[in-house]
Amino acid sequence: MPSDKNNKIPFNEDNYTHNIERNNERKLDRRGFMKTLVGAAGVFAISSLPWGAVAAKELLGLGDKEYPHKKITDVSKLAIGDALEFKFPGDHDDALLIRLSEKKYVAYQNACTHLRCPVFWVKEEGEMVCPCHHGKFDVETGVPTAGPPRRPLPEIQVKVENGAVYAVRVKRYEA
Amino acid sequence: MRLKFIGVALLCAFFMMNIVFTQFMVHQYYYENYVNVLIFGGLNIVVFPLALFTYKKTKNEKA
Ligand code: FES
Repeated sequence: MPSDKNNKIPFNEDNYTHNIERNNERKLDRRGFMKTLVGAAGVFAISSLPWGAVAAKELLGLGDKEYPHKKITDVSKLAIGDALEFKFPGDHDDALLIRLSEKKYVAYQNACTHLRCPVFWVKEEGEMVCPCHHGKFDVETGVPTAGPPRRPLPEIQVKVENGAVYAVRVKRYEA
Repeated sequence: MRLKFIGVALLCAFFMMNIVFTQFMVHQYYYENYVNVLIFGGLNIVVFPLALFTYKKTKNEKA
């Protein structure tokens, strides 16, 4: 029966995609596998360098910059039990200010310590909740109380002055 | 175990160590224990020459 299909295989090749040029590209032997592992070790080594560099920088004290105190809000605008989002210290560092009582304010950087989702304040329950995997944080200390996060939220020191709340600095964890 | 796979086994072990050290390093960074970051970053770096040495030693290993 005549067919317009050409059923001949033009040449024998060991790849299915036609854009792989190297011979035996799809074969992986023991030596090739070992080379890959050595390469992976190299990648790990190189990618450790920036972490080391930043850590060294912090150790040398170049990291604790003083940020200008930043006004968050006026006291009169934040009712007791309410929360307000703001940015501190940078413009992309989300933070959350919560007024717990007449005089008591707490503020945290609210990127969840699990996978950085924004943590929000649930007034009725009196705790901070992460929507992504239901991590919960204690509002007084920032310590995780439930869910996947293990590290406390970094606390931001605040002060009240002339009827306004200011963010002073991000507290360090006590080692 | 057949001698042929000692290199593969060792390199797999190094790979595992890399993963563990990296995980540790990143977490210690966020915990602000910067000395530990340096330690684990350093370990990650020394694993590379070890892996290279292992490869050179064992690539011609016969069964
Ligand atoms: S990102 Fe917050 S619990 Fe996973």
